[in-house]
Amino acid sequence: MVQVKLFGMLKTFVAGSSMVEIALSDGAHVKDLVDSLHTQYPELGELLHQKKVVVSVNQEIAHWDTALVASDEIALLPPFAGGA
Amino acid sequence: MAVETEEGMLVRVQLENFSIDQELERIRARSTKIGGIAMFLGTARDHSKGHDVSSMTFEHYEGMAQKKLKEIRERALQDFDIIEALVLHRYGPIEIGENIVLIIVGAEHRADAFKACQWCIDELKKITPIWKMEYTPQGDVWVEEHP
Repeated sequence: MVQVKLFGMLKTFVAGSSMVEIALSDGAHVKDLVDSLHTQYPELGELLHQKKVVVSVNQEIAHWDTALVASDEIALLPPFAGGA
Repeated sequence: MAVETEEGMLVRVQLENFSIDQELERIRARSTKIGGIAMFLGTARDHSKGHDVSSMTFEHYEGMAQKKLKEIRERALQDFDIIEALVLHRYGPIEIGENIVLIIVGAEHRADAFKACQWCIDELKKITPIWKMEYTPQGDVWVEEHP
């Protein structure tokens, strides 16, 4: 089971929550996480597949072949809108 | 003040407003070799993409946002002929006209200060995990709501 942080507009897809828990098997990669998210939250999955939302692991942008362990800090990041 | 703490003050994500004079002084105090200082101040405007905006809120990814601002400062110091750089961004509720973001770059000469300052704000917008919610008469809108 991994915890996934959500930011900005992404929270609107999960009833306003800033965190979701996803069950993953040992040896899972980011791609497996994306597939699980797509099954549970299709709108979120669509944005991930379109690469409009990216996954970060331990505060660095991850790739789909990045390996995951339960202690990783995982987040989904919508397009940034900092600055003015 | 320890060097580490002082460097920490040069890269911040904070709730409260900042004083431009104080931050400018922080840069000036870093070196007497500085002969040109460029600054970018981003403020909250009352309209966006054709609609009115009454106020806004910034959300950030605690830890990663600070890490990215630190990277921006370090890369600017490495890639441009500058002496010091400061990068600040606010989070939380911000009223129209208030300060949002501040970049100050000190260099020996103006050209490098201008170039690095522009690069810092452009890079901040690209790589820093910060998001903006605008409050409008039509409702609350996450900027880039349909990415």
